[in-house]
Amino acid sequence: MRVNPNPMPNLLAALVRVQLDEQTAMLEITTGRRVNKPSDDPTAAAVLVQNQDRSDETAQFLKSLSNMRGQLQTADATLNSMVLAIQRAITIGVEGASGTLSSANRASLAGELSGIQDQLLSLANVSFQGQYLFAGTATRSRPFSADATSASGVRYDGNSGVNAVEVGDGFLLPINRPGSQLFMAAGNDAFQAMHDLMQAMQSGSGIDTAVNQLRHSLDYLSGQRVFFGNTINQLDAQQTFLNSQKIELSKQETDLAGADMASAVSRMVNAQNARDASLAAMGRAIQTTLFDYLR
Amino acid sequence: MSGLYGSLSVALSALLAEQGAMEAAANNVANVNTPGFSRQRPVIVPGEPVVVGSLSFGTGVYLQRMQSLRDPILELRLHEETQQQGYTNALVSGMNQVEVMFNSTGADLGSAITHFFASLNQLSTDPASTPMRQSVLTAAGNLAAAFQNSAKNLSTLKSNIDLDVQQTVDQVNVLTSQIAKLNSQIAALENVHEDASAFIDQQTQLIRNLSGLIDISVVQTEQGLSLTTSSGTALVTSDRSFQLQSQLGSDGAHHVLAQGADITTAISAGKLGGLIAVRDQKIPELNSSLDQLAAGLSSALNTAHRSGFDLNGDVGGDLFVPPPASGAGAASNIAVAVINSDLLAASSDGSTGSNGNVIQMAAVHDMKVVSGETPIDFFSHLTFRVGADIANGKSELEASGVVLRQLEDQRAAISGVSLDEEAANLVLYQRAYQAAARVISTVNEMLETVINLGR
Repeated sequence: MRVNPNPMPNLLAALVRVQLDEQTAMLEITTGRRVNKPSDDPTAAAVLVQNQDRSDETAQFLKSLSNMRGQLQTADATLNSMVLAIQRAITIGVEGASGTLSSANRASLAGELSGIQDQLLSLANVSFQGQYLFAGTATRSRPFSADATSASGVRYDGNSGVNAVEVGDGFLLPINRPGSQLFMAAGNDAFQAMHDLMQAMQSGSGIDTAVNQLRHSLDYLSGQRVFFGNTINQLDAQQTFLNSQKIELSKQETDLAGADMASAVSRMVNAQNARDASLAAMGRAIQTTLFDYLR
Repeated sequence: MSGLYGSLSVALSALLAEQGAMEAAANNVANVNTPGFSRQRPVIVPGEPVVVGSLSFGTGVYLQRMQSLRDPILELRLHEETQQQGYTNALVSGMNQVEVMFNSTGADLGSAITHFFASLNQLSTDPASTPMRQSVLTAAGNLAAAFQNSAKNLSTLKSNIDLDVQQTVDQVNVLTSQIAKLNSQIAALENVHEDASAFIDQQTQLIRNLSGLIDISVVQTEQGLSLTTSSGTALVTSDRSFQLQSQLGSDGAHHVLAQGADITTAISAGKLGGLIAVRDQKIPELNSSLDQLAAGLSSALNTAHRSGFDLNGDVGGDLFVPPPASGAGAASNIAVAVINSDLLAASSDGSTGSNGNVIQMAAVHDMKVVSGETPIDFFSHLTFRVGADIANGKSELEASGVVLRQLEDQRAAISGVSLDEEAANLVLYQRAYQAAARVISTVNEMLETVINLGR
């Protein structure tokens, strides 16, 4: 049988193929990725689009979490200061109720209470990065101001809106409690109780009742504070979950698209050997014909 | 006829025949690297014997003709496979340029969608913040730009391919006219019973080149080869070639016309077929997918945006310029409608600090708003389709490359020039020539003996 007398085109084609293999393996090693474009592995590339979306989303959830943590911790710390201030007001009230005090002494205690009232007002107007934390969703205007026309001497300009932020797939976590609910709830109005105590202190009658009323408000406020503690706990739990999800997603990405170094290196070495062999074969193929032997 | 003079003429015929054979070998060696050349073999036949009484004397040898060694069936298969390869090659190289759009570079469409929704989540933590509102608008602008760029890339690619279609039609016309001219040259030689194999080789090679460009079928007729496209449009008949025209159609693309009839959709192989498949099927498909995505996403976001309130407490308008009702051109025309970040409708109750409507807009991320899929899932499937098209094309290309090389191998085994073989033949012819020359000198000596008899 006659064979193809010119093996060169076939050898060249083989050489091109091993060079392509070598380049593919080299690209995989240098980029550390097996899937560099959709046609490298269409199925993996499609999953990677979703993986990329989810891991970017997770990273954003984590960023939002840390922003929320700042807001919630500021709110919680502020409430703590308010609780301490009210406790101090109660102590003053108890002192004033002892009945042995002169009206001048009571007036000085009432002055102290008024200072605490001012402090509470200023704490209730706390803001975090330009947002008033206890204004409901009217975060851009100062929610509490002193107002003599109001029964409690304090006016609330915020609203009762609540914001929730998505910190997981469809997982919405409330981020605030409106000031009206915290400090001005009917029957548990801290400002009203303070106002009443101040008046009782000045007049010298009904101090006990007023102190009891303030105690109620304090209990209520402490109860409300639990919300912030709980939400911060939920943030912590969610952060742990998101971090592990991030790791999971990046592991999935590596599984899908990462280079299998051992296999890539061995494929590259194989391709290099094959290339050397092809070149050697080509070198021999062009060396001699019968013409060289006919002298 | 016998006697010394008879022997002399026999030896002379051998000299001539061997010289001719030597020429065939020389020609083969000369054409060892000529593409499409088929090696030639001298056909040497014995002379008619002369009968004298009971004896029969040979009258020597003569070179009857040169025989070209080729297998027409094999050539046909080569043409077919070349058509397939031309098609797949054009398809893959066209789609390779599309694929770039889907590489995850961080600036691709998928990332733009993801980043837009991330900016919404960021805003939800402080909905009245001007920098955060601005960054949502920036992300929306990037999203619109990513759609526009993708659409623009596709239309640039389409017009490049269109140009290629026109050039390929010109190449087809050059080749068909050359093939027709060779038909007449071959006919002229064969009419006077001369060897036309050099022309046939050339013609075969040209048909091979033509096969790379367009789908053809070859029919051997009395008047030489006749070529038609596989759908039956005549390209070459006898010594006439029929030129194809490329004409700008109402769709903005060049159509291929044969004698007035539009054959664009009938061209199914060769480079031209591949180019047309990318230009008229693949790119429009992708374009309409991008339009679907742009229209679905922007409509859903607009609906959500309109249900909220901006920083001034007014009801929100459209976030994006509404897509055309038909959806066509949604990707290339998408633009952000909100210019002032104060007008971003983040609030659900009219108060500045409410983030309720940001949550509504962010929810579009997980809503099945693009033909029953979420935006990212839709984009993910689009990525798969593009990748799979190319991956399939590449493996077809590889397979047809293997087949083509095997066919080439078979063709070379029959028609290729082997230098070893030619060297051996040269020795053979040379020795035969030397022997015939020796016969002449021997006869000469004998004649001398005869002439000297009378001394």
